Parts: sequence; C-alpha cells; structure tokens
Amino acid sequence: MHFDWPYFWHQLLQPDGAFLQGLWLTILISIGGQVIGLVIGLPMALARRSASVFLMWPARFYIFLMRGTPLLVQIVFIYTGLAAAGILRFHDITAGPFTISGNVQAGILALGLNEGAYMAEIFRAGIDAVDRGQTEAAKSLGMVPAQILRFVVLPQALRIILLPIGNQFNIMLKNSTLVSVIGVSEMLLVTETINSATFRTFELYSVLALYFLALTSIWGGVMRYVEWRMDRGSARGDAMVIGPLQGEHA
Amino acid sequence: MAEVLVQAERVEKFFGPNKILDGVSFTVTRGETVVLIGSSGSGKTTLLRCINHLEKIEAGRITVNGFLIGYRDRRGVLIEDRERNIARQRRDVGMVFQRFNLFANLSVLDNIILAPMRVRGESRAVASERAMRLLARVGLAEKARSFPASLSGGQQQRVAIARALAMEPAVMLFDEPTSALDPEMVGEVLAVMRGLAQDGMTMMIVTHEMGFARQVADRIIVMDQGRIVEDGPPERLFNAPAHPKTRALLATRH
Repeated sequence: MHFDWPYFWHQLLQPDGAFLQGLWLTILISIGGQVIGLVIGLPMALARRSASVFLMWPARFYIFLMRGTPLLVQIVFIYTGLAAAGILRFHDITAGPFTISGNVQAGILALGLNEGAYMAEIFRAGIDAVDRGQTEAAKSLGMVPAQILRFVVLPQALRIILLPIGNQFNIMLKNSTLVSVIGVSEMLLVTETINSATFRTFELYSVLALYFLALTSIWGGVMRYVEWRMDRGSARGDAMVIGPLQGEHA
Repeated sequence: MAEVLVQAERVEKFFGPNKILDGVSFTVTRGETVVLIGSSGSGKTTLLRCINHLEKIEAGRITVNGFLIGYRDRRGVLIEDRERNIARQRRDVGMVFQRFNLFANLSVLDNIILAPMRVRGESRAVASERAMRLLARVGLAEKARSFPASLSGGQQQRVAIARALAMEPAVMLFDEPTSALDPEMVGEVLAVMRGLAQDGMTMMIVTHEMGFARQVADRIIVMDQGRIVEDGPPERLFNAPAHPKTRALLATRH
C-alpha cells in the first residue's frame, strides 16, 4: 500500500479554498438545520401533548412521517421531487455579497424538518419529565397553562434536554453530508470532486474524516463545558442557570 | 352570623369505578380552622384537591366566596369552566402540598413573587416587599436568595406556605403538610400554621397530627370511605366520639 504522506499533510494543513468553503457550508447547513429543528420541535411537542385532536394528530403524523422515512429520501423529495411536480422550486437568494443557492436552502430545510421530529420527541420527553407537582403548584397559584409552561415547566425541561439536544447536533453535523446528493458543495462533495481529479482517495477521505472528527470533538468539548456548568450549579443548589425572572428589574 | 366561605354540597367523585367521594357536604365559615382526618383512602386529600379544582367532580357543587368552582351552571347542569376562569377562581384558594412543590428553577424569593407578578400584575418591588415580610414571618428572611434544593424539608414547606400566602387567598388548604418531613422539622411547620390560625386565616388541613388537630382546630371532620362520618368541635370528638371510625383514629394517633 502506498500512502502519499506529503499530499495528506498538505490537504490536512493547507486545504484548498474549495475545501474550506465546503467546511463553512457544512457548519452553516448544520446550524441552519438545527435551528429550524428547534423552532419546529417545541410547538410540535406541545401539539403532540395537546388534548385537541386537531393539534395532536397532525403532529403525530408529522413525527411518524419524518422518523419513518430516510433522511436521504426526504432531501431528494424536497429539492428534486417538489420541483418536478411543479409544487415548489428553490431559487437562489442573494443578500448583498452573500448568495444562498436553492439547493442549500432545500438541504437546510430538509435537515431541519427531519430534525424537528426528533426535537419534538425530545421536548416532549423533557416536559413529561418535569414533576407534575410543579404544574399543580403553579395551577394552585392561579397561573394559566401558558404561564406555567414558560416560567415553571420549560426552564426545568430545557435543563433536562440540553444534553440530548447536544447529541442531536453531533448527529446533524455528520448527516449534513447527505445534502451532497442534491449538489450542495459541502465537505463530502468537495472531497469527491477533488478525488475525481487526483484519485488520492485514501488520503482525501482520511482528511475528510479527520475534519469531521475535529468538528464533533469541538462540539463535544462545548457540551462537556455546559454539563460542568450545570453540575456546578446543582452543587450550589441553584437548579438552573437560565431563570425566567432574572434580568428583569422593576 | 358567621359568613360561609367554603361550601360543598353532595360532592361525588369517581376514579374509574371507585367512588372516592360519596355525597360530601360541609361548610367552612370565615376564620375557621377545619382539620380533616381519616385513614388513607378515605378521600380527605381528594376532597381538598376538589376545592381548587385540581380534581374534577362528577356530581354536586363546591363554592368558595359564593363562586362556583370549576364549573358553570347552565340551567342546573354543570359544565366544566374554561381554564382561564378556573385559574381566576384559584387565586382565592391557597394550597400547600405534602411534597412542597417549590419551583426548582427559581430562588426562594422568585418562587414567592412569580404568581403575584404574573397573575396579579404586581411590580417586582411591591411583590418583593410582601414576599420579604412573609419570609420574615415564617422565619426565613435570610434564605430569599437560596434555591429550594439547598433548603431542608421544613424550610421548603415554610417557603411554600409563604408562597401561597403571597396571593392573599381567602382560604388556605393544607394537604398533609408535615407527612414528608423528618420528625424534628414537623414542629417548625406546625408553629407557622398555628400562627396563621391565631391570626384568623381560614384553613382546611388534612393531617395525621392529632395533637395539633386537637389544639388548633375549631372543627374536625372525620372521613371514612368517601363520606363524612363525624363533624364537630375537637373537645367533643376527643372526649365523646360518636362514630367507631373516630374512636379508632383517635385511639391510634396521639
């Protein structure tokens, strides 16, 4: 076996501009998808827990659909399928010097919609994990459901689900490679393109893997820090870092 | 003539096929301290929870201050009220739970001022001022910045009492407030409750502390299998219990 060490080191330490752009796109798509997932997840979780069948069943169906079909299929369906049916075509959006192309938008949307279903289940589990007595006490003080959720249940649920959410983002970073199938030049597609010109396949994919390991390791470090902060908080006796009444002064 | 504050008429409540409350009727007048006793499963906790509609009822009616709790009267048929209206009714009814239920994400002070600020629309300054007065009253002024997890059970329960009082309720409900406490902490909570009774707060208390009941209660209600079997002043119940259940309860617990 021949491993081209100089080429490997070169690609690792001084990657092409195209590869770096791919790196940024990977980060952008992952964050975009995660934000959409979070935004969708909470209302979906509330709808899923709702006593109203008009809220509960659509939410159940959405979660069923998104968790029951492959993410890769969802990506192709949303970008290529919807366009082919004439339902929705993603056009490039330009704002000043920045352009977000249609396939990037579709990719972020697909990742976000998929993530939303998993987020909904995580939020639901977190809300259910908060002791019922907390809600009863809030009720007995005359608080309405929206207030109970905002000031009592959600702050405690968020603390419970912070680590599962962090875990989901780790998965998101890696799943972002799937949008290469609709031609988004994130790290995987850039690597494939370089490979088709150089055929240094082993070296190039080793570099790609190392970059992903770096991303997930950095994220892992962030999560360990968050966990450490939370543990320190509980040791002092304050259950939450984020308090709804903090920062509000009369 | 004493003013009726809480009134229950022929209240019935089922959990599945089991009848938990079986035609319960009583009145509580302003300033009265009523203690509910009965063996576990007799329905006393459920009855208390019906008074602020934490439990639905299947028949009968409960009023506080003359207002029907939890339901609207549609030509004699009771229909469950909207959540917003029930929340409004609950402002008048303070509740203290067996397991304290302090908001784990908030400091002691924030626990107490949350509802006055969000439900009554008070400013932080006004709510905090009253909260500090109440904390001083339950002997925990120095704990205002602490979080519930760092307090002992007795301290948490005293904060819970202050939190309920902060809404200036017409009646306070206590659901076995000392049952989850270590024995050495029972006294501090009972002392606070005794003070409230002396100040004329209307209270309904579910408890197994018979000594306390005898001392503080204006009236004791004895429940058995979802029914009120005896209702009278403590002297009479302790000295001449009419019902065998009362005799059994007072014999085992002193």
